[in-house]
Amino acid sequence: MLKYGLTTFLIFVCSFIEDAVAQPAVGWQEEANINEVIYNAPLQIISGAHVSIHQLAAQNPLVVAFVFTRCSGICTPLIIQLKESLQFAPNIANKKYNVLVVSFDPRDSVKDMENMATRFNLQHEGNWEFAVTDSISRLISSVNFNPVWDEKTLQFDHDALLVGVNSQGFVTKKLLGLRNSKDIGLLINSINNVFSPTYRLPAQSNLFSCYNYNPKTGKNTPGLGMLFIALPAILSFLILIFIRLVSKSKSV
Amino acid sequence: MEAKGIKKNTAIWILAVLVLFVLSIILGIIMRLNQGGAVHLEPGTFYADMTVHGITMIGIWFVAGMAGVNFIMERYVKTSYWANTFALVMTVIGVVMLWVSTLIGDFHAGWTFLYPLPFKIAWSAWATPMFLWALAVLGVGWLVWVLSLMAALLKKYSISQVFAWQHFRNKNPEVETPPFVLISMVSLLGVLTCLIAAVVLLVLLFAEYYSHGTFVNDALLIKNLTYFFGHTIANEMLYLGLAIIYELFPEISGRPKWKTTWYVAIAWNLTLFFVLLAFFHHLYMDFVQPQGLQIVGQLASYLASLPSAGVTVFSVIVAVYRTKIKWSLSNLLFFIGIAGWVIGGVGAVIDATISNNFLLHNTLWVPAHFHSYNAMGNVLFSLGFFHWFSVEYSKRKGQERLSSLKLSFLLLGGIGFLAAFYVAGAESIPRRYSSYPVEFTSAKLLATLGAVFATVYLIAILLFFSSIFKRCLNMVLQRS
Ligand code: HEM
Repeated sequence: MLKYGLTTFLIFVCSFIEDAVAQPAVGWQEEANINEVIYNAPLQIISGAHVSIHQLAAQNPLVVAFVFTRCSGICTPLIIQLKESLQFAPNIANKKYNVLVVSFDPRDSVKDMENMATRFNLQHEGNWEFAVTDSISRLISSVNFNPVWDEKTLQFDHDALLVGVNSQGFVTKKLLGLRNSKDIGLLINSINNVFSPTYRLPAQSNLFSCYNYNPKTGKNTPGLGMLFIALPAILSFLILIFIRLVSKSKSV
Repeated sequence: MEAKGIKKNTAIWILAVLVLFVLSIILGIIMRLNQGGAVHLEPGTFYADMTVHGITMIGIWFVAGMAGVNFIMERYVKTSYWANTFALVMTVIGVVMLWVSTLIGDFHAGWTFLYPLPFKIAWSAWATPMFLWALAVLGVGWLVWVLSLMAALLKKYSISQVFAWQHFRNKNPEVETPPFVLISMVSLLGVLTCLIAAVVLLVLLFAEYYSHGTFVNDALLIKNLTYFFGHTIANEMLYLGLAIIYELFPEISGRPKWKTTWYVAIAWNLTLFFVLLAFFHHLYMDFVQPQGLQIVGQLASYLASLPSAGVTVFSVIVAVYRTKIKWSLSNLLFFIGIAGWVIGGVGAVIDATISNNFLLHNTLWVPAHFHSYNAMGNVLFSLGFFHWFSVEYSKRKGQERLSSLKLSFLLLGGIGFLAAFYVAGAESIPRRYSSYPVEFTSAKLLATLGAVFATVYLIAILLFFSSIFKRCLNMVLQRS
């Protein structure tokens, strides 16, 4: 009887593993590179100045936004949303920061970036800098940002990424996607070395979550991890029965 | 030969526990002195001290309970000398590894080594695997011991008998289950469960460590497993001590043996089940844990503790109220220990109530209540047993000296030490701070007072130590 029980249990566990492994790769990596030094790329700013990222960060901690000027997708909403969120972000009144908008498209020139700044009416904003660099691939790989060129659409397939860099050049927080003013507030605090809570996003390497969140339905369902929590109690009661059966059969 | 072997092993367990206890109290006093500003430790050193203090204390009072239960169980069933010896050897190896990883390797993630702290390496890189392997060594030794004791009981009693289910309905059942057997089995099954939780936990942590980040753990799962193991073992070790009290208190007091009644059987069966769910109260602040489990955590905390505490206190009161009792050092220690357990238990139930936890979570209220039922509860249960055992089985009998002085120091030191924690907790002073910010105006004074009273407690323990140690050492050195 115990044998059947164990077999059923194992099949049950294995069916879950298949589910967990088959989850699509989410690939969101907000936690990657935290506390690592961002690549010290030389920048050409639209004002004409030549500085490196670390020099800029030493003046004021940075929020770095990666864009390309011919983008027909996420880049425009990213900058507009950031501009707006910075006006409403909580607890940042006395915090220092600069926003560095840097192009990741090698074809973009300083002139293209200047036009972009004008389009968003940010060319005269003191704490916004628009720039290009000749070391873009090293810069983006140091923050794990991987745009992919699509020949059909003549566009980059890329994430909307903001990277927080403190005045020592360390990445303190990353935000993926369009985020609200509360998250932007946390980002500004983190680059000022003020504690900001963080959490790990689900990734492919994470097999045994307690809950699986379904973004389509907005619901949480118990995951394989829950079974692990119940496992010790189930196993010890099975062991209890097993020991009794063995000692009874021996004494007969 | 085996019964003699168990006796000798019990004496060795007692010697080891006493030595480690004294060292760990000294580490505790150093922590309080540091918090009070009288000495200065680097934060890393403070946390290494806190880690080794916490894990050693939990470990030694667990094995003290197990050794006592094993010794008394010999009255009912034959137990395995080899399993006992194996556990002893594994414990010695495990403790050495723990002390090396913390005091030399500087591992300082706390005794709960809460994920992902062990992997945020701020100490020698080898210290993390050594700490985790030390736990694995201890786990294997204890698992074998627990299974062997369970097997010994289950050879004689059926499952329903060992849990006294026949007592639920029948006042005079054919087979009577002694309370010692019932409570031991309830505790052993609980210990088995939390050791399996520890195995699952360690496997997951090793998987992440050795896969170099290819496999990543779910923080909520690891926290649940950590407290499943940590909270449960800290409770079960108390129950092991209580099993000994149910057996020895009436015997030492010259009263008839306690019997299992329907309410004793029900209370301990409730404990068996609900103590396994009470750990959810450690996750009240984890917003991702579903609300249902938080409510289960609160209810289970009540249902695991209140019935068993109720029947135990009732049994003790009935035994001592208006009856002539042969008071001795051992049953006085049991009696005071039960008071400490109940007071700490009330503090714990207050903290396990969700609305209060918003205020008390991670304040010094938490060490206040768990030190109450440990330093003034479980420690006294085992100390009572150690004293009884050493007097009963040693050739060096003689008059017990300085009993009142020992008890007075123990009470004065223990109550003062705990009061400093309780007052600080009620003032929302946080736990696990190596030094306090100036905003907590009374924190330093309370810490210094705590250190002074803890020193008085230490003197009492040293007085007990000297007499028990000599007798046990004699037993170990005696040629069989
Ligand atoms: C007089 C004796 C003792 C002294 C002076 C002492 C002192 C301390 C101090 C100062 C702390 C740190 C409190 C904080 O969070 O700020 C602590 C933590 C702790 N103590 Fe004790 N203690 C004593 C006895 C015991 C006993 C008997 C146990 C038995 C189980 C115990 C178990 C623990 C545990 C588990 C922790 C938590 C460690 C952690 O958070 O990682 N202590 N103790």
